[in-house]
Amino acid sequence: MWSYTVKRILQGIVTVWFIATATFLAMHNVPGDPLSSDRATNETIRANLEARYGLDKPLLEQYVVYMGNMMRGDFGISFTQQNREVNDIIREHFPVSATLGVLAVVFAALGGILMGALTALYRNRLPDYIIMFLVIMGISVPSFVFAALGQLSLVNLNAMMGFSVLPVAGWGTVSHMLLPALVLGLGTMAYLTRLMRSSMLEVISSDYVRTARAKGVPPARIFTRHQLRNAVMPVITVLGPAIASITTGGFVVELVFAVPGLGRYFVQAVQQLDYTVIMGTTVFYGAFLVFMVILVDLVYGWIDPRVRLK
Amino acid sequence: MTALLEVSNLHVEFDTYGGIVKALRGVDFSVESGQTLAIVGESGSGKSVAMQSVTGLIPMPPGRITAGSAKLRGKEFLGQRRLDGKTICGDEIGMIFQDAMSSLNPTMCIGDQIAETLEVHRGYSHGKAFSRAIELLDMVRIPEAARRARQFPFEFSGGMLQRVMIATAIACKPSLLIADEPTTALDVTIQAQILDLLQSLQKETGMAIVLITHDLSVVARMADRVAVMYAGQIVESGSVDDIFYRSAHPYTLGLKLAMPSHSEGEDHRLRPIPGSPPDMFSPPAGCAYCERCDRAMRICQSDNPPIFTLDKGHLSRCWQQHPQHTGASEGLYKAAPVSVDEVLA
Amino acid sequence: MTDQALTNNQTAAGAQPVRTLRPADFEALPPSAPTTGIVRPSRSYWQDAWARLKANRRAIVSLYIIIFLMLFTFVGPLIWRVDPALQDIDQISQGPLASRAAVLVEPFERWDGVSIDGGFGEGDGLRLAAQPTTQQVRLFWDPVPSASSYSIYRNHYEPQTELVLGLPIASITRDGISWYEDRLDLRARSYYYSVVALDDLGQRIGSPQTVEANVLRVITRDEVASRGLVDDPDALQIGDAVKLSLHPLGTDYLGRDMLARLMAGARVSLFIGLLAPLMFVAIGVLYGATAGFIGGKVDQVMMRFADFVVALPFLLFMILFQVVFGIGPGESGIVPMLVALVILSWPATSRLVRGQILQIREEAYVSAARLLGGSHQYLIWRHMIPNTLGVILVTLTFAVPAAIFTEAFLSFIGMGVAPPTASWGSMCNEGLKTMLTHPHELIFPALMISMTVLAFNLLGDGLRDALDAKMRNSV
Repeated sequence: MWSYTVKRILQGIVTVWFIATATFLAMHNVPGDPLSSDRATNETIRANLEARYGLDKPLLEQYVVYMGNMMRGDFGISFTQQNREVNDIIREHFPVSATLGVLAVVFAALGGILMGALTALYRNRLPDYIIMFLVIMGISVPSFVFAALGQLSLVNLNAMMGFSVLPVAGWGTVSHMLLPALVLGLGTMAYLTRLMRSSMLEVISSDYVRTARAKGVPPARIFTRHQLRNAVMPVITVLGPAIASITTGGFVVELVFAVPGLGRYFVQAVQQLDYTVIMGTTVFYGAFLVFMVILVDLVYGWIDPRVRLK
Repeated sequence: MTALLEVSNLHVEFDTYGGIVKALRGVDFSVESGQTLAIVGESGSGKSVAMQSVTGLIPMPPGRITAGSAKLRGKEFLGQRRLDGKTICGDEIGMIFQDAMSSLNPTMCIGDQIAETLEVHRGYSHGKAFSRAIELLDMVRIPEAARRARQFPFEFSGGMLQRVMIATAIACKPSLLIADEPTTALDVTIQAQILDLLQSLQKETGMAIVLITHDLSVVARMADRVAVMYAGQIVESGSVDDIFYRSAHPYTLGLKLAMPSHSEGEDHRLRPIPGSPPDMFSPPAGCAYCERCDRAMRICQSDNPPIFTLDKGHLSRCWQQHPQHTGASEGLYKAAPVSVDEVLA
Repeated sequence: MTDQALTNNQTAAGAQPVRTLRPADFEALPPSAPTTGIVRPSRSYWQDAWARLKANRRAIVSLYIIIFLMLFTFVGPLIWRVDPALQDIDQISQGPLASRAAVLVEPFERWDGVSIDGGFGEGDGLRLAAQPTTQQVRLFWDPVPSASSYSIYRNHYEPQTELVLGLPIASITRDGISWYEDRLDLRARSYYYSVVALDDLGQRIGSPQTVEANVLRVITRDEVASRGLVDDPDALQIGDAVKLSLHPLGTDYLGRDMLARLMAGARVSLFIGLLAPLMFVAIGVLYGATAGFIGGKVDQVMMRFADFVVALPFLLFMILFQVVFGIGPGESGIVPMLVALVILSWPATSRLVRGQILQIREEAYVSAARLLGGSHQYLIWRHMIPNTLGVILVTLTFAVPAAIFTEAFLSFIGMGVAPPTASWGSMCNEGLKTMLTHPHELIFPALMISMTVLAFNLLGDGLRDALDAKMRNSV
């Protein structure tokens, strides 16, 4: 298990290096000079920037400078906001995205596992049909439509109640987080529900559940000790990619609900061609996702004895 | 003396997309304490369904018991979870299954799985149940039981897992053990070890065993009594000697001929039974074996034969046992006089 | 025992009808070959799969929906020949099934206002000077003696409190003027105009006065002629009703026909949604099959690289690539998106195919075929391809909704297809802004996306079930 952990972390570091390199190469293929925009017209400013980012040096040297900075955890200074470090921007906006993401993941995982188990237990009966209909909706309707509909219904709800039940947009309190997190987690929840349902159905008809019944174990104990534990395993394995899709999927929700997260900032940076911010954010997000996936894998290995003991 | 387990007139159906499958069409058998009853038959004949419906393990729906009774020491328990304050499954009746690897929970350690039975039925604390589980592992001759109890199924071999299954099944000292093809997935030497183990445990505890198998060599080795099943019915039942030396049903004869044997010469060829079992969506009106039977008669097509009692405890469902049948019945055991059983399916 | 005894016995049991057994009953049947053998006709794998797919009602309905979508996209524009970029300024943000009636009027003429003394007589506060039309709404009111200015508000609903009066549209500070002409973006609907009199310090004097104006849609002869609404505009009389151009699904905020735009958007969305998966699945299959066949070190290196690509944060790199490829002015951004999707999406398929190939290589039937002298070619064509084709087909079906989602997602946040090119995602983006007042602009494109994604998902489910050989006997 220890060597496995170390191996995974080393792999993760190499993967982050790949992401950083890919980002570097991609950004250097952007047509036009990053400094040719009107923001850096002044010759001295331009020269300063070129020197700071090593833009006047050959590509390989630039790459070394870039990787060196990155290794020290320095993502540079924003192009459009001259006195702001990219690190500061990430430090300020990422916790918002992360909070939203974590809430959405928790919401999606709990909801998915619970509803998936429920549909399997009530297979081909009313609760199954209702939940599976909702799941199909969750899978087919884009998140921005949910976001819009959620906001619309909240506006109406607030108007109907005559006071603000939940704020429609913005950030700050727990009440601001609920609806965006719900909307953000909905698609993943639908996906996890489906996965949990099929996994649970497989477990229900498995030989070892039959054995448990043959042992005379009461149904409630069979559910908790034998079915749930085994059915959750495949759900945990996809949780890593699910976290990835939720955190990056946060862009839309952040835009619609005016949440000051990193996703919204990234979109803004792209629109303004703020190169350092784009690169920094991409690499940071990439590293975050890589290590989230590793973390989930390690947690899975710890839970599943078949992996743990190998 | 009443038998330990007595099952009579059991009818079971399954709803499927193709229609209703009549899996059991009137099954009677009984086992006495300390005895072993072997239920033989090919796949799909209903052997497992019979035992699983008695213990309530068939999924309902789609399964359905439409008629019948099952009595333990003379008391009806079909469709009940408990009898006389004891849970039937796991406490009164222990069960082991064919594929031990898939029949054990992959994420639970071996000791916990054995201990669970004791916790549920005896109310043992986890620690007490676990140390008892180690004793049980010892009893089924697993070396280093204390260490092995903390391991997981994937760390065991097939034969070892079957021993674990047995330990789990006998944890509460059941009066009856149902062994559903316990050795089918194992190789021959391991098979022998498991069968030995079952026999010695039976001697120690005096429990009855219902052994479901399609392997006649296992039957010959283990059974006191044998019931041969075909298409949801028992076509012949009797003592081991009755079945092997006085076969009174063409299907039993066919099974024997399809089995390798030492006594025939070098050039002995196995003779498979031609054809396949009938479609259980609509079982034939006559004898279910009629189509594959080389001695089929007119009546076999139209009427399902009743049960003919040949000798004490030897029953057959074949029209050739009818007194009016006068033709030759080469190889088939016939006892005279025969009596037609009261119960006709 | 006799016949009679048996018959009685059976009657007593009540299980079988009374019947007397005759010797003939015990005659042996002529030996016949067992009638078993093959009862059902043998079907090939694909016939079998197709039969199972046909039995799946949801999948078949989805298939019809997809066929309908194709017709909508490719045949639709031939039938509904409205230019999706054409702006119908008479009908902006018009809902579906809205009235198209307009009344022919004279061209707009300047209005110099009224004076209360000038003939309109005594009235009651705020009044309408003429029939309100989409050309103009003319208001006047009794001057408030101490007022130095008036503020005029317009609202879509009757104001509930005096504090919320709606959109402030004008402020009149000139002395002696107590009238106002509104020409701002008028629609055929009800408006509530409010006038507040203010003193020198800007304090309100008295309560606001409110009047409801039911605006009538009007059109001039020139406009009728220029839009070709009728064959002979000169034959029309002032006051005649004219029917404006038809928009079955309404118009967007620029007056563009929704139906035509949905069709144009479908072309973009389905182009990306179908072509990108086809391309990346093809690349993935080639890559994965190569790795699987060669195996060893090459396989490891190839898969390591695929793992790296998988690790790239998908949406961030989609956006990044959009920037890298640079969408110039006038470009739609479709091709960059296609390329970005293909570059980032192939590894999943390649992993799957490689796994499948490795698995099949080890299968007993492949070893058997090899032992029997099956050539490489034979193995590939007889075993590898048929056994991976199902998986590939299912992957492809599930990749389509994912690609459509990605396109919609990116276009929605303004990082995808550039306006004015319509795609369902960009239409949703535009529709979001008018969601509160004109929900149809969001609902229709969202519905198209959902329907397409749903259909492909359900078809994918059906295909997966139909092609899963493990379930072959279940239907």
